[in-house]
Amino acid sequence: MTAFKTLSEKPWIWSFLGMIAIWAATAIYTGGKGSADVITAALSFATFTAIVGVGQMFVIATGPGNVDLSIPSTIALSGAVAMKVMDGSNAMLPVGAAASLGCGLAVGVLNYLLIRVLRIPPIIATLSSSFLILSTAIAYGRGLKIKPPPLLAEFTTAQVWGLPVLALFFAVFAFGMSVVLNRTIYGRSVLAIGQNMRAARLAGIKVERTRFLTYALSAVLAATCGFLLAGFSGGASLNMGQEYLLGSIAVVVIGGTSVAGGKANLPGILGASMFMFLLVTMLNTFGASAGVRLVMTGLIIVAVITIAGGEDAQS
Amino acid sequence: MLKKMLIGTAVLASCLTAQMAVADTSDKRIALSNNYAGNSWRQAMLDSWEKVAGAAAADGVVAEAPAFTTAENQVTEQAAQIQNLILEGYDAIVINAASPDALNGAVKQACDAGIVVVSFDGIVTEPCAYRIAVDFHAMGKLEVEYLATRMDGGNLLEIRGLAGVFVDDEISAGIHEGVAENPQFEIVGSVHGDWAQDVAQKAVAGVLPSLPEIAAVVTQGGDGYGAAQAFAAAGRPTPLIVMGNRYDEMLWWKEQKDANGYETMSVSIAPGVGTLAFWVAQMILDGKDVPQDLTVPFLQITQDTLEDSLATTQPGGVANVEYSLEDAQGVVDGS
Repeated sequence: MTAFKTLSEKPWIWSFLGMIAIWAATAIYTGGKGSADVITAALSFATFTAIVGVGQMFVIATGPGNVDLSIPSTIALSGAVAMKVMDGSNAMLPVGAAASLGCGLAVGVLNYLLIRVLRIPPIIATLSSSFLILSTAIAYGRGLKIKPPPLLAEFTTAQVWGLPVLALFFAVFAFGMSVVLNRTIYGRSVLAIGQNMRAARLAGIKVERTRFLTYALSAVLAATCGFLLAGFSGGASLNMGQEYLLGSIAVVVIGGTSVAGGKANLPGILGASMFMFLLVTMLNTFGASAGVRLVMTGLIIVAVITIAGGEDAQS
Repeated sequence: MLKKMLIGTAVLASCLTAQMAVADTSDKRIALSNNYAGNSWRQAMLDSWEKVAGAAAADGVVAEAPAFTTAENQVTEQAAQIQNLILEGYDAIVINAASPDALNGAVKQACDAGIVVVSFDGIVTEPCAYRIAVDFHAMGKLEVEYLATRMDGGNLLEIRGLAGVFVDDEISAGIHEGVAENPQFEIVGSVHGDWAQDVAQKAVAGVLPSLPEIAAVVTQGGDGYGAAQAFAAAGRPTPLIVMGNRYDEMLWWKEQKDANGYETMSVSIAPGVGTLAFWVAQMILDGKDVPQDLTVPFLQITQDTLEDSLATTQPGGVANVEYSLEDAQGVVDGS
């Protein structure tokens, strides 16, 4: 009983429960056909959502109004640059990865400068930088589709015992980031700033350095996602980041991170990313029409957030 | 490539000289109002416009023909843009519209100001505007009719476009009508791929495990390669996937064709349809009689024309045809 109580107080538990419920509903509908394969597919795609979700979580945790809207365009730019630099050659893989990370870093610096030097609110700053970034990607690649190096394609699609290798790597990374969030000065600073920036500054926390690191982290993770996604789906395209705009925010919120900042939850992002993929799969499997599908998606997300948030309010 | 372009320019120049004798539109200004530029189709559309309309301006057929694209793909923004174009005194506005009806107010204002409005691809319903529409319904039906010539029947997976968009409904309705007329086919699954390769891959990967064997995939363009990727990743046999003229789709098709004789067909709209709209606007300004509603043929690629189409398509682009004034004349006469 106490175990149940402790568990139900964890804000991340609800995204996992939602995920299991939806998977079970799909399995019942199909009579269990292919249910294990669905999990494999979900793990593959959820990894990409979760990578950008982690970055978005740190940004959102730094307080109200902090959100990174430049993630989709960073994904597009990083993918395009990396694919063009590597031009399908395995030998150029490290160079491509470096170019991709460089893109991410540049975007992070740009975002932070807009916010800090020009004092533009983060939402507007990252929105305007996203136009600049996407325009750069358009001018640079013209929608160019170059195949990824075979090694990258193999790595991003590889599986061991039905588990995507990429998901396993990400699990290790997520554990590391969880430690960073909860056990390091940087992670604690992010949460302190999110709770009250003024108090954090008075307490001697290096607010600006922390904010800079946070926006840089988000952009670098978006760039990494673009690099891997281009490898996974056989090349970069201009609109490949599009669905990660709201997707990244949704998994953070469903995962139990407070939109008001100051409270972050990493395990929830993993569950929420799976949840979002399985939700679309379930509605596709049911053959629901587009209208019904959108209404259902909205209702189910609201339901999960309400249940999770309701518990939160009582505690 | 360069040679091809030179020939193209030469052909274009020759038909321009042929028509300049009658043109009295040399002081007219034509603007393109475009609502979106974020995919390869739109990029190709803008390139074609620049090439054809730019050449027409340079040759003095029209005074100028600039292209304007809104940043946010939003109706309000495009309406404001059209109002600006009215104030700037353009003689004709060619529109690829964000919405079929929400821009009608701005379009009416333009008509009232004596401006010729030609809409294409994303057409507007305002009666005073000209429309160059694609018969998307027929395009969907064509896919199933092609399948009927290739196989005895079987399960189909349908990949749809962006939910709530008129084009998606039309193509899908055509596909379903085709299936109704060919009952040997059954649609066992339907997902939305948003005309994007990665979205299609994700959606197909999700439903595939629960589906029976798929004989063929009917698509709307831009999603075929993603479907192929999803089938390969799931370790399922590759079905017949109808393609949508994108370079990556054709390249994949070519690889399969060379490796195992894979056979399919590809159909979509050429982004050069914008240049058709340009010439139609020019013809109207020239005093020609043009019907209010025109239909543009779609561009179909077969097993035999695959290599040629691939060779003339830019990597990352879409198979394209640019229209000349004569082509536009043909479309007007044909309707």
